[in-house]
Amino acid sequence: MSGRFNRRDQTKASTRLPDGLDQIYDDRAEGGVAATVTRNRPIGQSRAGGRATPRDRRVLAPLSVGWRHRELILAVLRRELADRFSGSAFGWVWAVAGPLITLAIYTTTFTKAMQLPVASAHGNTSSYALSTFVGLIVFGLFAELCSRAPMLMHEHAWFLKTSIFPSETLAWTAVLRALSYAGISFLVLLVFELALNGIPPLSILLLPFIVVPLVLFLLGMVWFLAAIGAFTRDMSYLMITFVPLMMFATPVFYRVADLPDPLRVLAYANPLGTAIEMARAAVLDGVSPPTLAYCGFLVVSLAVCRGGYAVFERYKGILVDVI
Amino acid sequence: MPSSSATRASWSMSSDAAIRCRGLGKAYQLYARRTDQVKQMLFGSFHRFYLEYWVLRDIDLEIRRGESVGVIGRNGAGKTTLLRLLCGISQPTCGELKVAGRVAPILALGAAFDWEMTGRQNVLIGSAVLGLRRSEILRRMPSIAEFAAIGLFIDQPVRLYSAGMRSRLAFAICAHAEADILIVDEALAVGDAAFRRKSLAFMESFRRRGTLIVVTHDMEQIRALCDRVIWVDDGGIRASGGVAEVLRLYDDATEAEEDDGIRFRLDAEARAALSQAAANRRHTKWRSG
Repeated sequence: MSGRFNRRDQTKASTRLPDGLDQIYDDRAEGGVAATVTRNRPIGQSRAGGRATPRDRRVLAPLSVGWRHRELILAVLRRELADRFSGSAFGWVWAVAGPLITLAIYTTTFTKAMQLPVASAHGNTSSYALSTFVGLIVFGLFAELCSRAPMLMHEHAWFLKTSIFPSETLAWTAVLRALSYAGISFLVLLVFELALNGIPPLSILLLPFIVVPLVLFLLGMVWFLAAIGAFTRDMSYLMITFVPLMMFATPVFYRVADLPDPLRVLAYANPLGTAIEMARAAVLDGVSPPTLAYCGFLVVSLAVCRGGYAVFERYKGILVDVI
Repeated sequence: MPSSSATRASWSMSSDAAIRCRGLGKAYQLYARRTDQVKQMLFGSFHRFYLEYWVLRDIDLEIRRGESVGVIGRNGAGKTTLLRLLCGISQPTCGELKVAGRVAPILALGAAFDWEMTGRQNVLIGSAVLGLRRSEILRRMPSIAEFAAIGLFIDQPVRLYSAGMRSRLAFAICAHAEADILIVDEALAVGDAAFRRKSLAFMESFRRRGTLIVVTHDMEQIRALCDRVIWVDDGGIRASGGVAEVLRLYDDATEAEEDDGIRFRLDAEARAALSQAAANRRHTKWRSG
């Protein structure tokens, strides 16, 4: 580089605009490119300030938000992943090594040091390790989002305050980011399964059907936590105590079948537990999830998603003013 | 909640209006304590836990498509708040607002950049925020880089940029956003003469195609660019009309008024809330970190 700035620019006296700029607006003049975006927002009278914009009451509104802003969501996601994987020296190594180390420590603790009856019921260490790994991957998703969501709006406060950034897309980005880490862990799991048990069962193809409701559930959760977290930091402190507890309330280190009957119902009431059990069945056991349980899971997840989005929409208008 | 659906039905957007607002107002919520925010969230429908500080009140405004409008006013008059409402960055507390078309806001000093990302990455995100597709952005990248004219700095993190370079990049992004409405808030204040000339040339050519709204304290700029001027004062529109008349009124008024704190005066209720909040903030500063 010859100087601090492009030298040509310093000496150029004329105010020629870039050719590309003319191109854009020329296309427009011919009526080629531009589709006029219309943003009409009639606004009702409001005292509390919470209901400034009319709410989108459709059931699938959370999904259409994701679709409408897909380009933006992907742009932010791409940047966050690049941040993670090229920002640190050993990005990929951490992504693979992290879950492996966790898994190694938990498996050793529960099969060797503590010798849990649950673990020995599995027969061998490797099948217990695989089953725990599935649990850890799904729970990892939940844990990451739980601890991140309350600060999500604060994290992007600058963007939200100074540009027309649609804040509801941040939940999508956060979930997709967590999902891509989980994807890496899942690849590691597959390698292990291949090495220990051979070819995985065909029912593994059902996994996407389990991931979809899980994503819906997580989205709703993130919207809810992000909206509350924007107003008070207590939410993130609460999560710090809540997440480790959930780890034991969710069948991560045991299977629902190991529980006594009354508790089994509770474990299924927890959407996370259902997701883990179904994923185990599909990936490890070669059993497709029971239809009724799956439908219930889907309905509950959709409800959580819609509810979380409704809460977020309600506070979206004043969110920018309080963070 | 008093509904305005009746007026909304009878009040349709005329085809040549780019921006139309009626009775628009913005109040910030002042909380005396942090816990009041939580209380407001939980029990907001039963009781109000904050005090309102009205920054803007009763704004009636219509800007036709293709018009270029200058907004003037003293510091703290509400110009920027008005623009933030028009862009959709913050939501109005009351009133009706209709905006037709894609808005590209160039707000003070190259605003929404992630300082850790390079200029190019910021272009990708900034343009996506304005609604461009990735392929379009990549196609326009050379032209954006040429407009910003910051040389190889475009591949450096934005934290290394000077204020002028940030505003160059911000302007370049918005210039390429193919907007219908361009909103420029003091963006040229830190640019050098050459860049200012280039930006003015762009705005001059843009006003033939789109709607332009300029906030500035530079009256020459307003005379050069605008067909109409809106004078915002004390949260309302004090005058609106032809450039020459409004600027004359404004000049007369600024000569008469002193530069004192009277404009920032709050009513007693708001003052009490503010001072209480300030006191609380002093106490809790070390805790919130």
